[in-house]
Amino acid sequence: MRAHPVEYELVSPHSLPGVLSLLASEPGAWLPIAGGTDVMVQYSAGILPARKLVSIWNLPELCRIETSADEIRIGAGCTYTDLREHEAINTEFPLLSSAASWTGGIANQNRGTLGGNIVNASPAADSLPALLVYDAELLLVSARGERRVPYSGFHIGYRKTQLAPDELIRAVCLKTRFSGYYAHTRKVGARNAQAISKVCLAALGRIAEGTVEDIRLAMGSVAPIPLRLTATERILRGKRIDSQLVQLAKMTAAAEIQPIDDIRSSARYRAAVAGNLVAEFLEQLRTNQERTERATRVLSIWNDLPPDKAAEEILPCCGSKAWARQMAARRPIFEEASLLSVCDEVWKNLPQSDWLEAFRSHPRIGDSHAPSSAQAKSAAWSGEEQRKAASADEDIKAALAAGNRAYEQKFNHIFIVCATGKSAPEILAILERRLRNDKTTELREAAEQQRQIARLRLKKWLLS
Amino acid sequence: MTASSQERPQCEISFTVNGMSHTVRAYPMERLLDVLRHDLELTGTKEGCGEGECGSCSVLLDGALVNSCLIPVLQASGSEIVTIEGLASNGRLQVLQQSFLDCGGAQCGICTPGMILASVHLLNKKPQPTLEEIREGLSGNLCRCTGYMQIIEAVADAARTGAAK
Repeated sequence: MRAHPVEYELVSPHSLPGVLSLLASEPGAWLPIAGGTDVMVQYSAGILPARKLVSIWNLPELCRIETSADEIRIGAGCTYTDLREHEAINTEFPLLSSAASWTGGIANQNRGTLGGNIVNASPAADSLPALLVYDAELLLVSARGERRVPYSGFHIGYRKTQLAPDELIRAVCLKTRFSGYYAHTRKVGARNAQAISKVCLAALGRIAEGTVEDIRLAMGSVAPIPLRLTATERILRGKRIDSQLVQLAKMTAAAEIQPIDDIRSSARYRAAVAGNLVAEFLEQLRTNQERTERATRVLSIWNDLPPDKAAEEILPCCGSKAWARQMAARRPIFEEASLLSVCDEVWKNLPQSDWLEAFRSHPRIGDSHAPSSAQAKSAAWSGEEQRKAASADEDIKAALAAGNRAYEQKFNHIFIVCATGKSAPEILAILERRLRNDKTTELREAAEQQRQIARLRLKKWLLS
Repeated sequence: MTASSQERPQCEISFTVNGMSHTVRAYPMERLLDVLRHDLELTGTKEGCGEGECGSCSVLLDGALVNSCLIPVLQASGSEIVTIEGLASNGRLQVLQQSFLDCGGAQCGICTPGMILASVHLLNKKPQPTLEEIREGLSGNLCRCTGYMQIIEAVADAARTGAAK
């Protein structure tokens, strides 16, 4: 049955104290509504129990994201779009920004709020497993004052929370102490967007001296509330990840959850998927650790080379000799992340002639022959990068060849594009667009593409 | 209506739609979608699922793509709204609209206004989107006719010819 708007009251006090005094005046009578992505669905279906609503959308007190030395405080009224676009959240709490990116489509991300996701208390809510593994705390506010509670105990049963009838969530507080962890998240649903998950996982892990130093696992859609997998974590801590341990973890996870049969999936399927998601994370955690160790070895050998040898070793990643010399001069470098940021900085500050030297080290897109000056390693990488583009039909190849000629005539250097993963038609579209650039704009755009190529090649080099 | 139901007062709500100021008398919980279609007779905005799943009722609210079926009209008070009727100017279609026609991106037409507004929103944020970004930008809009490929091509085509403002 459709709801009749005449039966509902909605007021908008425009300030937090105004909302709080209304909630205090008749505790439990007023339902807060923010972006409406949950409340309006119930309303339209005629199943909204409340008849009096108070809008908390756009309250300035709830929309701020504040960062301090050791904490990010996210206003409960921040939308998924706000979360996705916030740089510090992307860097420090990637599990949260990933969850935000697959909650609904763009329109719902523009309206759905983090606070709403928490109080709606769906066991399938996308952002909640992330809040569990990050040890979030909630700042609750009422006319009586504020209190800060750990998020882990906030959900006390199916769609039940600790929130008092006169309270609102004011903010979600996250300590910035997880940057050294490997983060992994995965949603299994009928499709990527707009689908409620059958099972979702948020996971953090850190390996030290070959064993699991810390591990944090949380799942959605597998119990009446978002669930931290404490038993599975317990059997993993302090252990070396091998196939036996992975099997044990799968079984423990499947036994620890309390899945149900419902319209989206079956309990049996959910248990199997839950085990598989834990196994997938453990494999990735181990692989990531191996990659890190390998990169550390490559960098430590490189750090010990004499300057000219070190420059020669890294030259194929970019093609500019000045870049390679300056990279070598910036040693010692111990980690992939710092290698990449030094690369960006050196590249950005090079004069144009050095950029052009790097461009010349690449074969034309669609051309199988690298320039004779290119080193063997650079030529082999070019082949890999252009693999996807190489399988094009003759029309596209001809159009690319013509585009390359027009480009070189206009700009006096070859067309540079970070081709990895791009098909020939995609590259052609980019080429046609960039042909309309003026010379200055195009030089900057080509340099940006070359920077991306260098970063990808540095990552490959670290695995050599 | 149930026996306990009680009629609440209407209120006056003002906003701008497609550049024109409007003041309507409405119940505050009326859906923006219904006010646009019934009070302002802007029937280009369609109702599909009525629960924020299909994107047919997409409009821009202060520049942000939203599902108008999920907005109580009171929350639109003071805002600037753009509907599909606000895109063409002086009898000329907006670049995206022309691209949808050229590429066969519209068939039955129910999803088309929402698809185009989602595309406008995407191209305003990312004038040169990758195919993956186009798919993501339109992931909240369902189409049961085209199979999506022509729609994605239409957005790519509009990006190439410079649809962004």
